[in-house]
Amino acid sequence: MPSLAESFNEVMAVEGVRVAALVDIATGMIVRSAGEPAGDFPAAAASMAGEARAARTMLGPGRTGGGDLDEIAVATSGRLLLSTVLSPRFGEGLLLFVDLDRARVNMALASLQIGRLAAGILA
Amino acid sequence: MVCAVSGTSGVLRITGDPGGTIHLADGLVTAVETTGAPGPEVLLLRSRRVTESRWDAAFAAAAARGRPLSAELVAREMVGAGELEALLLTAMADAIFVLASGTVDEYRAEPGPSDGGLALEPGADPAGLLAEASRRIKVLMSVPSPPADRRERLVAAPGAVRPGVRLGAGQDEILALADGRRTTRDLAFALGRGVYATTLRLAEMHAAGLLVPASASTASRSARQAGRPAARARQESGDELPRRKGLTGRAVLPRRASAARTPRGLLRPRSNRDDNPG
Repeated sequence: MPSLAESFNEVMAVEGVRVAALVDIATGMIVRSAGEPAGDFPAAAASMAGEARAARTMLGPGRTGGGDLDEIAVATSGRLLLSTVLSPRFGEGLLLFVDLDRARVNMALASLQIGRLAAGILA
Repeated sequence: MVCAVSGTSGVLRITGDPGGTIHLADGLVTAVETTGAPGPEVLLLRSRRVTESRWDAAFAAAAARGRPLSAELVAREMVGAGELEALLLTAMADAIFVLASGTVDEYRAEPGPSDGGLALEPGADPAGLLAEASRRIKVLMSVPSPPADRRERLVAAPGAVRPGVRLGAGQDEILALADGRRTTRDLAFALGRGVYATTLRLAEMHAAGLLVPASASTASRSARQAGRPAARARQESGDELPRRKGLTGRAVLPRRASAARTPRGLLRPRSNRDDNPG
């Protein structure tokens, strides 16, 4: 079967992408990754999984104006972290967690491109 | 895990609590079986997005054709290839976490071909799995109210379940299942979630006052029936100072990290841990 790492090739080809990873929302575990993660990447991934859990609790279905969580974007002066929610047939979901070079990307375009590719990651 | 590092194939049978079997191919972990954590089959079937009848049919077809069950599941579009890989990796990590958190009385390596059922091909790096187990154990040790005893049974706190009010994020399902008889492991199997993920959710809900230990609940009920909370009576009389409580409801002291809870103690026989703490 094709590996997740192979599926990451397209994500890694998006302009500005430094690292891509699949993160288990329930545990913060990095399931697979591509690129060269910096030392803080596992902590950032676990933190993002925690954010996703918290966002679901506070903004999920049943909350006023709430709904299914689609994406979390965090931007610093140097980095753009995009986390797109994937919904496999088990568990609490996965994040396609992508670390981009802020100076090289248009935030809206990057979000659109990665969102389109995310759908095929679990296929 | 010694034989995994050396690149052998076969199985590593671990006797202990809960114990289990680690399947290896060329030094990589292809499957882990333990009664202490739900395997990929349970995780998939409990999601109710794959029916038991379709699973049985795929299992029978794979056996008849002599091809891996994983390939059969993907061919029948019961699960995507990437999805299955993620499922196997997360289930494996959870099982290793459970084994590493438990005790090992002894282990036995059996070199040779291994039939791990629903196996990951190629397998996962054992060092990575142990690092993930270590990370999880460290996280649980830092949680303010960690489930100190995985056999502890939890129950919904009085008033936690209110008619017509949904808490969301899976908490309502946990409250419905936490009947004071199920352990964390039992809840993980019933929910179709990993033991570590379930432990985190239970700790969060306990911290939020939604769950209480069944023993504390029973004691509280008994005290109320007696007309006066016993603990408060002791505090008011000055016989006892308030003490920090663990998730078990029992008073606990800050624990020194034991060998069994440290990364260096992972999957080492209990006797070795006792002899060489830390």
